[in-house]
Amino acid sequence: MKPEDIKVCVLRIEGTNCEDEMAEAFRMVGATPEKVHLKQLAKLSPSDTRRNLEDYDILALPGGFSAGDYVRAGAIFAARIKAAVGHEIKAFDESDKPMLGVCNGFQVLVELGLLPAIETTMTSVPTAALYNNDSGRFECRPTLLRNDNRRNCTFTSDIPRKKVLMFPSAHGEGKLMSMDADFVWKLEDNDQIVFRYTGEDGEEPEYPWNPNGSVSDIAGICNSSGNVLGLMPHPERAMTRFTHPDWTRGYDTEEGDGRAVFTSVINNLLG
Amino acid sequence: MAAHRLMKARDVPFPLVDIDILDAADEELMQISSDMGLNLSLDEMKTVREYFKAEGRTSTDVELQAIGQAWSEHCCYKSSKPILKEFVFSIARSDILSKGDAGVMVFDDEYGYALRIESHNHPSAIEPYGGAATGIGGILRDVICMGAQPIGLADPLCFGPLDYDGELPPGTKHPRYLANGVVSGIRDYGNRVGIPTITGGFFFDERYVGNCLVNVACLGIVKREDLAVNHAGGPGEVMILLGGRTGRDGIHGVNFASADLTSTSEEDSRGAVQLGDPITKEPLMHACLEVNSQHLITGMKDLGGGGLSCVVDEMALDGGCGADIELEKVPLKEEGLAPWEIWVSESQERMMVTAKPENVTKILEIFDSWDVLATPIGTTTEVPRTRLFWGGEVIFDMDLKFLTVGPVYNRPYVLPEVSSKEKEVFPDLPSDNEVILTLLSDLNVASKEWAIRQYDHEVRASTIVRPMVGRLNRTGPGDASVLMPVPGRYKGLAAAIGCNPWFTAADPYKGGKAAIDEACRNLVAVGARPNALTDCLNFGNPEKPERLGEFREAVRGIGELASALRIPIPSGNVSLYNEAPGGVFILPTPMVMGCGLIDDFRKSVTADIKEEGNLLFLIGETKDEMGASLLFRKYGGREGAVPDVDAKALRTLSERLLDAMNGRLVRSCHDCSDGGLAVATAEMCISGGIGARLDLSGMGDIGILRKLYSESNTRWIAEVRESDAEQFSSLLGNGAVCIGRTGGDSLLIPEASVDLSVGDLRKAWSDPIWKIMGGVKE
Repeated sequence: MKPEDIKVCVLRIEGTNCEDEMAEAFRMVGATPEKVHLKQLAKLSPSDTRRNLEDYDILALPGGFSAGDYVRAGAIFAARIKAAVGHEIKAFDESDKPMLGVCNGFQVLVELGLLPAIETTMTSVPTAALYNNDSGRFECRPTLLRNDNRRNCTFTSDIPRKKVLMFPSAHGEGKLMSMDADFVWKLEDNDQIVFRYTGEDGEEPEYPWNPNGSVSDIAGICNSSGNVLGLMPHPERAMTRFTHPDWTRGYDTEEGDGRAVFTSVINNLLG
Repeated sequence: MAAHRLMKARDVPFPLVDIDILDAADEELMQISSDMGLNLSLDEMKTVREYFKAEGRTSTDVELQAIGQAWSEHCCYKSSKPILKEFVFSIARSDILSKGDAGVMVFDDEYGYALRIESHNHPSAIEPYGGAATGIGGILRDVICMGAQPIGLADPLCFGPLDYDGELPPGTKHPRYLANGVVSGIRDYGNRVGIPTITGGFFFDERYVGNCLVNVACLGIVKREDLAVNHAGGPGEVMILLGGRTGRDGIHGVNFASADLTSTSEEDSRGAVQLGDPITKEPLMHACLEVNSQHLITGMKDLGGGGLSCVVDEMALDGGCGADIELEKVPLKEEGLAPWEIWVSESQERMMVTAKPENVTKILEIFDSWDVLATPIGTTTEVPRTRLFWGGEVIFDMDLKFLTVGPVYNRPYVLPEVSSKEKEVFPDLPSDNEVILTLLSDLNVASKEWAIRQYDHEVRASTIVRPMVGRLNRTGPGDASVLMPVPGRYKGLAAAIGCNPWFTAADPYKGGKAAIDEACRNLVAVGARPNALTDCLNFGNPEKPERLGEFREAVRGIGELASALRIPIPSGNVSLYNEAPGGVFILPTPMVMGCGLIDDFRKSVTADIKEEGNLLFLIGETKDEMGASLLFRKYGGREGAVPDVDAKALRTLSERLLDAMNGRLVRSCHDCSDGGLAVATAEMCISGGIGARLDLSGMGDIGILRKLYSESNTRWIAEVRESDAEQFSSLLGNGAVCIGRTGGDSLLIPEASVDLSVGDLRKAWSDPIWKIMGGVKE
């Protein structure tokens, strides 16, 4: 299998607005992305444009404001996905195919029950939520993330443990919460915590380094089997050094920090 | 009312009124104009009466409403056109690809870039959230209908002081409320459509208390082979209405925009403010660009001011044809709209395309796949007239030229008194330590982070230089933003705002020039070569000779400097009648957005000091030009010479500085504007987190205060490594003088006994707007 044989479904509806850069990110690491409207999977589009989810190797849910997000972020898109291709998504997950959700895509994965899915696969109801930022505002700013995963997640295998990366954040609802008091411990035990916000030089991420007040500074989590990753910050916005906010202050490579997320999953699929 | 004797409801199953204008006495004409909200003058109404005399029939309400729209200042520029023609329309250059609804310039061999700026002032004064949001919607459509993908938004805004505690004119809202609403509107619409808000500006002055300004600009990128036109291809084509449904929102918006605000504007004109829907706009954008890139359409235009009436007439007239429209086919938000309401409604998120009949099915299919409404509502015809039908009944039949061209006025003007050096009164000042901290805390200088961080300025992953620059989460102010329009290519497109309304008020001619100089030097500061300009001219009531004099002089300044630099202005917008209830007129505000090109954005430069021990150079001459400076405004100085612009100096210094940047000799660069050299240097220290020690003796003998605070145009501060200093100096020649060295954690200027820690500078600059608007700062 060659990288270009890896087909990526970048799923879109009205209001998903990061699909271009998501597709571009997969293209930059050699894969073959396609921007697919949910109607194409739901067989509601002209016959020559219809698609089957099972024909793809990776599913990517881009950022944005799907359907306007006028109710809880991601809820509408998740409901429409379930109604249209609920079974296909479950099958996709159970066959351990990689799924990536960034920002609004993360919110959708949680609403779908694909995350956190502690010690299970897709749950019928959401067991966590991404709540309003503590600041009460949409926050567009750089964030530093530490890779805290112990090799469970298929999207971080190329990233050394504890390595700190810059992915920009841009969201109003990114505070991960759960009713389950032992939520963080369980995630920790199952190696489901992938990225944590960190301050400069590794110190505690006071605001704005933790831009939303997320519990235990969690920025991104995966499911129990590690094939599904959701995170609030945008790796696809950091594919080259020149979209890092401080690149003019000096850099040693033209590659951006976000690239490793995409090379990891591709390399794992290539085996 | 007497005029009512002339109005007769026609016996048809829908609301239609015939108006026997032929028979109307003069004062009845004026009653018709005001009763129907046409906002037309007596002379204009007489012209209308003559037209229908010649046609030999009475008029319908739909026809008179259409004239009211087409002849509004907003639609036909009747007061400003002669002046714009005289000074700015003439700047020609071979790389202008289009002067359509947005200007389009050559980006590279394969692509063009679109630029346009527009105002949404009056709606925002009434309903700041909706007004600002729909302002973005409108400017996006202007770029889309060139076939261009929008890639960046800019929002320069003018309000009264956020902490204003004076009396509010009747019917106006507090600046803090307006600013909060406008910023929220920009955030919620801009972030939802997924176009980054990359630059802008805030201008605070009491003269904006009664009439805030909300300008919005947009950049786009288009394959040159896909460049769209904004008119029909000829007769026999189908007109397809796209996007949102039509409702009663936004009726008479252009007339509202073409009159002064009054104490009852809220009650009278709330319905003139449209309602935006970004989640209709987002797929509409995709679908329009898709049908265009597949070359299925002959023309595309957005429905903005004047709604259907303007878009149909203009697409037909410019296409050398006429149009027959079946008005009852227009999809409505609610039943029961009268034909005239449908015809002039400015409901948002609507576009019109013309297409050959054989392509219609494919077009409808594409829009259906995006769940966006697409409705054929008429056809283009041979005769240069627009005809409207409702269930077969003709309800409108007018000559397009008469309707669309509209009147043009050479209104009387008087040239304004300008601020002079002779009458200058220099204010008494506290210590320079205190002055610098005070200037940094002025709302016009202080950090705008409160707003900027609420805008997504990097969606689309192509923002190379951001509005705030420097260390992560401890940034300072940038000069221009740089985009990567084509992923994978290193060619960059830069954008920056230029405007100094205080200069313009004190000397409109120099103020017009200063706006362009500032836009250009901001672009040069990041390493981009100025390529094109777009301007939004916000002025007062043109029927008052003093106001029109300010407008004329400012436009003359803009035109003269742009011509001298050979920088075209392929698009623009005029917003007149910006006067508050009680006749308080705004500062004359020529808002300019400059666009620049940079061949390799990896050579972009930002304003934050990079290293200790580097040399600081001042580029450009500092003159005794204190007129309308921030220092004078703050400490009660009066008169004084307003900074002028020497086109030749601007051109040569820009070229030399760009050469130095191209040779990677410049580590950081920042332009000198509000607060002069003192504030500019302080800002570089703030974003870099590094201090500096200045010695200004090389600047000549105009006195330390003028060296520090004069706001002479065409000046930059550049940080250069000592090892590069010789090469830099030889490139810049006599244009640059060394003024100090970076290092330490304080700004030191011994001659003025200035000693301020970078921490204190940052605090003075960061806190003020957060303190007023609330929230947590970096």
